[in-house]
Amino acid sequence: MWSDTFLIVFISICTAFLGEGLTWVLVYRTEKYQRLKSEVDKQSKKLERRKETHGDSLDKSVKKKIERYEEKLKNNNRDLSLVKMKSMFATGFAFTALLSMFNSIFDGRVVAQLPFTPISWIQGLSHRNLSGDDYTDCSFIFLYILCTMSIRQNIQKLLGFAPSRAASKQGGGLFGPTPAQFK
Amino acid sequence: MSTKSNTVERNANSTAKSSSLKEICARALTKSEWEDKDEFLDVIYWSRQVFGILLGIIWGIVPLKGFLGLVLFAGISCGVVYLYAINFQNVDEDAYGGAWELVKEGFMTSFAGFLVTWIIFYTGLHYDSIMAAKPT
Repeated sequence: MWSDTFLIVFISICTAFLGEGLTWVLVYRTEKYQRLKSEVDKQSKKLERRKETHGDSLDKSVKKKIERYEEKLKNNNRDLSLVKMKSMFATGFAFTALLSMFNSIFDGRVVAQLPFTPISWIQGLSHRNLSGDDYTDCSFIFLYILCTMSIRQNIQKLLGFAPSRAASKQGGGLFGPTPAQFK
Repeated sequence: MSTKSNTVERNANSTAKSSSLKEICARALTKSEWEDKDEFLDVIYWSRQVFGILLGIIWGIVPLKGFLGLVLFAGISCGVVYLYAINFQNVDEDAYGGAWELVKEGFMTSFAGFLVTWIIFYTGLHYDSIMAAKPT
């Protein structure tokens, strides 16, 4: 049992590095990305500082200035997401191919026993391609996704490719509203 | 112009600070001032990852089972981070956007790491007894 689980951890470490390597070749090393990223980081920090100092100021000109900054940041964030999109497609294709290969290798195999019974909408994932009704059986895909969740993000952070906190707080890119809008 | 040079200076300082890992560890273990917010959040993030993995190993060895294991992990992880930041380091939670921002820093990643180690150790160490207990 150790061998299967360690193999899956090893696979996800390899795929995380592969994904980051591919993204580095396609995106991170390009001048456009580096320029946009440093700009977004700088602007997010500036905006955060500005908001902190003028937080509840009712001055219209200040508000307008902040809004203009936000608009600029939003545009840059959008550009950054578009640049990243290219590699997302490439890695998406590569990972779909790899995943289907691993899926066929581990097809119908119980790779681990879960110490808990997952909630119903996760059972589809944790019990994928497994026979029987014992939902503490764990499929390859569930363990792989969990490994990737923890390993890939840590690798990104370690290599310095993760978006900075200020940027993700202010921007959020193409995904979802920013927390600032709720304030 | 002066603001620009100030910023450059501050950036230079922060890179110089972030370069020495030993110093950060020493500051993390003792009560200290955190001028760079990101540095403190990084300390929380990484210690949380290590903590999650350690808890996963312990839960797997014990072995803890069921919903209790998940709830205990979430409670301990959030509680320890909160107590560490507010009581031990005495940071101003408002400067970080509220205690919630501190508590959720790196939570999902550490949760995933915790689950992986919990599942691996639980399966590896107790496989025979789990299989024996299962109705055939």
